Amino acid sequence: MMRFFPLCLLAAATALTGCSKSKGPREITGVRELSADERKINIVESPAQRFRMPSEMAGGAGAAAAGGAGGGEAAAAGGGGALPFVWTTPEGWTQQPQAPMRDLSFAFGPNGEGECYLSRLPGAGGGLVANVNRWRGQMGLDPLTEAEIIALPKKPMFGLQGTFVDIAGTFSGMGGGPVRENYRMLGVIVSSDAGAVFVKLTGPAELVAANQTQFDAFCASLQPR
Amino acid sequence: MPLPHPPEKLPPPDLSESHFSNPRSLLISMKTVKRFRALAAAVLAMATAGPAGVQAKDVSVPFDTYPEWPAEVTDTFRQMLVQEGGRVKPVHTYARFMLMQFSGRSKVTFESKDGQSHNAEAVAWLLDTLFRPQLSADLPIFVVDDSEAVSRIGVEPKEKRDRYSYNDLLPGRSKLAELTAEYARKKQQYDDSEKNPQYELDRIEGMVLVLGQNVSNFEYLMSQFGFARKGEALTHESVLPAELKELAKRLDMTEMLDKMPEMTVNQLVQAVQAPAAPDDDQAMLKSAMQLFFFHASSGRGFSIFPPPAKETEEWMSIGDVMLTGLEKKDMRPWAIERMNEVKALVEAGTKDGATFSAALKKFADDHHAEADGRGRGEGDRSEMEVKLYQGNYFTNSLAWFVLAFVLLAVSWLAPGSAFSKYLTWGVVGCLVIGLFYNVYGITLRCLIRHRPPITNLYDTVIFITGTGVLLALILERMTRIGVGLFVGTVAGVIGMFLSIKYEAKEATDTMGQLVAVLDTNFWLATHVTIINIGYAAGILSAILGAVYLVGRISGLRKGDRDFYRVLNRMNYGVICFCLFFSLVGTVLGGIWANYSWGRFWGWDPKENGALMICLWTLVILHGRMGGYLREIGINVNAVLLGVIVTFSWWGVNNLGVGLHSYGFTDGVWKWLLISWAICGAVMFCGLPLWLRERADRQEKQNAAPSGRKKPKPGGSAAQPA
Amino acid sequence: MSQLTAEDFQPKNLPRLLVGLFSSYWLAMVVLIFMTLITLFGTLYQVDHGLFAAKQKYFHSWFLLHYLRDGMPLPPSLEWIGTIPLPMPGGFLLMLLLTINLSIGAIIKVRKRKKGIGMLIAHFGMIFLLVSGFVTFAFNREGYMALYEGQTGSRVESYRTWQLEILPLNEAGEADKALTIPYHDLETIREGERREFKAADLPFDIVISDYTKNAVPVPVSAPISAQATGREVGGFKLLVQKPSKEAEQNLPAVIATFRPKSGAGESVETILSARSANFDPRDGAMAFGFEIDGKRFAARMVKENWPVPFAVRLDKFIFERHPGVSMARNYESRITRIESGAERPLEIKMNEPMRYAGFTFFQESFGPANAAPGDAMYSQFAVHNNPADQWPLYSLLITTAGLMIHFGMRLFDHTSRPRRDAAAAPAGEAAAA
Repeated sequence: MMRFFPLCLLAAATALTGCSKSKGPREITGVRELSADERKINIVESPAQRFRMPSEMAGGAGAAAAGGAGGGEAAAAGGGGALPFVWTTPEGWTQQPQAPMRDLSFAFGPNGEGECYLSRLPGAGGGLVANVNRWRGQMGLDPLTEAEIIALPKKPMFGLQGTFVDIAGTFSGMGGGPVRENYRMLGVIVSSDAGAVFVKLTGPAELVAANQTQFDAFCASLQPR
Repeated sequence: MPLPHPPEKLPPPDLSESHFSNPRSLLISMKTVKRFRALAAAVLAMATAGPAGVQAKDVSVPFDTYPEWPAEVTDTFRQMLVQEGGRVKPVHTYARFMLMQFSGRSKVTFESKDGQSHNAEAVAWLLDTLFRPQLSADLPIFVVDDSEAVSRIGVEPKEKRDRYSYNDLLPGRSKLAELTAEYARKKQQYDDSEKNPQYELDRIEGMVLVLGQNVSNFEYLMSQFGFARKGEALTHESVLPAELKELAKRLDMTEMLDKMPEMTVNQLVQAVQAPAAPDDDQAMLKSAMQLFFFHASSGRGFSIFPPPAKETEEWMSIGDVMLTGLEKKDMRPWAIERMNEVKALVEAGTKDGATFSAALKKFADDHHAEADGRGRGEGDRSEMEVKLYQGNYFTNSLAWFVLAFVLLAVSWLAPGSAFSKYLTWGVVGCLVIGLFYNVYGITLRCLIRHRPPITNLYDTVIFITGTGVLLALILERMTRIGVGLFVGTVAGVIGMFLSIKYEAKEATDTMGQLVAVLDTNFWLATHVTIINIGYAAGILSAILGAVYLVGRISGLRKGDRDFYRVLNRMNYGVICFCLFFSLVGTVLGGIWANYSWGRFWGWDPKENGALMICLWTLVILHGRMGGYLREIGINVNAVLLGVIVTFSWWGVNNLGVGLHSYGFTDGVWKWLLISWAICGAVMFCGLPLWLRERADRQEKQNAAPSGRKKPKPGGSAAQPA
Repeated sequence: MSQLTAEDFQPKNLPRLLVGLFSSYWLAMVVLIFMTLITLFGTLYQVDHGLFAAKQKYFHSWFLLHYLRDGMPLPPSLEWIGTIPLPMPGGFLLMLLLTINLSIGAIIKVRKRKKGIGMLIAHFGMIFLLVSGFVTFAFNREGYMALYEGQTGSRVESYRTWQLEILPLNEAGEADKALTIPYHDLETIREGERREFKAADLPFDIVISDYTKNAVPVPVSAPISAQATGREVGGFKLLVQKPSKEAEQNLPAVIATFRPKSGAGESVETILSARSANFDPRDGAMAFGFEIDGKRFAARMVKENWPVPFAVRLDKFIFERHPGVSMARNYESRITRIESGAERPLEIKMNEPMRYAGFTFFQESFGPANAAPGDAMYSQFAVHNNPADQWPLYSLLITTAGLMIHFGMRLFDHTSRPRRDAAAAPAGEAAAA
């Protein structure tokens, strides 16, 4: 309301002084005494910790297992920005640029209509059951019970036994893209307390069948760096 | 619409003049009052029978006879206590709103095969559901507004809007469960995505979702005491494998609980889910545990058991009792005793009425003794609450207002005659009686809750209606031009009708608990009450304005300038009244906000709504003082004031923002827009009137061109109002 | 208040004209009508843009452009109407005009006579209410204090404004004073600008740049850093986020460079982010530590904060729900107010704030949001320092008294006069006013 007037004046004054002083540094005038219980200053050396990095940004499953939130640095320093794991790109697959939620992404097939990507989530990533059923949902299938999911076949990945999912159906993808008929999805999930890694391959059923061995090889090739 | 009897059984309306020979007799003779009640009910029935006419016809059910519950059974049962929605309430209230939620009304009407019509009240229906589930499954209680919703689950539809029994829906049960889960997920996504229209449920999907939830709630009620039925009438039995069904017939849950090791619910779930052991005994134990878990989880929801520990506030259902007994060995004797009580009761339910009546009496006595023994005062006003609902005060109030309206209409047939004078007295009498019922009901609600009259949106409807009628009667007393009576009947009928519709639509306890910020009788009594009086005045003003405008444009009392002048002065008074209460109420609201949230004014929608009412009354009053608004202008703006009042009363609650939005009501916008369209049409009447008046004035000026220019209207001599 | 006539519109009559205009019913009407309109539009605007944005645009403004599409669904054929900008006066202008109009028209120029006394009082009450609104707006300082049971606090933190603190450290890693750069000096930094700050007792100058209102520092190794623009500092970049609808949820960040005055030695550079502040009252804000000229310093971004002249210790926080449902029944904090050694136990609960020494403590909320039953919880108080705290109450009492006197006199006139007369006499209406 009427504070505007003094404020205007103030703004005008600071604008004027600001103009004249715009090149020179400003004097810090605010000083406050700290009370006894404020004197201890909590200096945090790791920027990842200081900025409260969620662990998936700080290096994901492998790094998180290595040392909590500080892992981001380790990954950044150790790999020079590279991912904290190694793999072998199968024949006929082309690596794609990184995208949100996809640490590693490939395309394959005559027009690149098949895709395979790896993503990591901190913790259990929402749980094995929820994730398998989310995938089944994307393919238009009903959810499975926990027992049924536990009973799913296994495939090796990162030296662990990953849960293997093989679903054929109508793919609707994430975020409601176009619905694609006669699709197939292959996926492996490994999860530990440190984090979960997902590898997911989708494409037209025939193309997926032709790339099944490549998929298995890719999963088996994944190792922590 | 709950009615005491189906309309065709009522005595024919008696309009002979003898009833009106002495107007005072209306108020004195109880006999007359009773006759009038019947008449009022008949009128009401005619007025409110919906176009679908579902309530008018008896649905036939597949069973031969329906043995009605003896009165002492229903009366004992309705007085029992149950905890729901954070408070302990009589079973009567619980049953009433539960049935309303399923069925949209508080009774079940049907015809058994022997040709008998039955009209089971909610408590009787709940008794059926708990103790005669097979019979209850045939009662037509699930209302479906569009038959498309039942077609979608593969059930053969009846009428466009109709009621279905559980057994009617059973063929589509699994499809219903599937769709309910899907739509519930979609609704969740809709809420999570901040109302992304992609996830919005359409009308039919919404109906299916509600139906699915209702059917599931009904199943919980049916299977509530399933453990005591030894494998009979297991509602969710489809989830049980065949061998468990067999086992259910043999296994006694009470005996089993006695022998079980101490374990928590989680441990029980784990044990049930663990892979079956090869050993026969182990497998048997696992099946038994599965069955125990099945019964315990089916028996949730109906919390009628006060916990033995006085300091525990949460009451238990029989399922909770079973799990508590499982978890703690020292609670086991108590739990087993409760289970045995239920078993005895269920068994008595299969025998004759007298046996069950005695068993229920004993069960209820124990129950009350236990509740009273806690000394927490839980349910100590439940008898009053039962009385409130059995008294049907608000329905009666509506009936009297409708009768008043009818009498008023009749009185217009012969204006000025002695007959119409008597009728006018009749109208006054009906209004007073209707108002009495309204006030009595509100008073009871205050006493039951130990609260001021308004704590939620439902309360505002009955309160504003009562206030409106009272104000209209006072206006009539002051002016005696008949308009007060008309406005009072209109406000009374619309208001009470709305309150009943709203209660049925919401179908949840209207005396629920309050969130922490509202838990203050001082501010509820001052700010909330005062601002609602302001709302009532604003709406009254709008109706008066509409009477003025429609009256003049339709040539009613043509040439009687006095009539319209008095009418206008009356409205001016009401607007002043509205300003006083809205302004004081709004500022009080600000002061309350300053006490609870630390700011006097936050531009929150509800606050803004109240402010707009104040501002608009000020516009009218200053416009009048400045001479910018004359009679027509004042009345047009009074109608607009009504639009603003309904916006801040109902509209802002539906904007979905703000700290104040405690009354969520979907589909209200439709009715608001309709009412605003009507208001707009009425306001439009002002235009030809104004043009005509202006032409008249110009004519007069032309006739006397030498005269002084028109005097300043209102003039600077007048003081601001 | 008076009517304007054509004669008033003469240059020599300008002062009279202005007084006439400002005291007119016409102005009162226009202001009240526009007030109603912006109140309506500002309410509808909240549906999509939130309360804070609506307040800024409609009520804390002089002029604004309203679009009918805001908060009002229009049928497709009429959508073009929603895109027409409607110029409107803002809340400041309207309230200022209303105050002037009331003061001149209803207090100064009004003819003082017995009949008008009620209205005079009521209008005075309204002016007082507007003035108290102004005083609150101009001088109220609001913030919060959050305490776990057993904690004592004597500082209030701002909801939305931040500051940078530079802390000289001793050998033990402790600081006894903080040099502060206020938020105003940060949020006015434009893109590309490098703003310099100096202080006599610091061996370095500070250069602040890359201010963002809401940003997350991300490691360049993370895939998502591809979306981050701007400079990389120590392996991190700032990922700019859309400013939140709830202004208090924005977490600003800057890049700070500490440049030795001596010119010798290397500059130290870091990102300072609001994410390092204490989100939980148990934690201290996390600081960046560095060394220049052999001395240790720390720098951090914290919320602006100010002292209260007493301390408050939370003894017990009580949170109750209605049995069996999630609805809150009561939250209340048992506290001890400590002032120069003297302790006084008190309760603060919903609708019952503590008012003391010009400060008001309200029970605002509690946390942490993910606390399981049995976990330690903190209680958060809104703390206001509003000189006009109780003025609305006084204004209400004045206005109510005025209205009651006025309407009481009117009603008495009406009822004591024969009814037919009033209805028949055309003069009745004017006299009644």
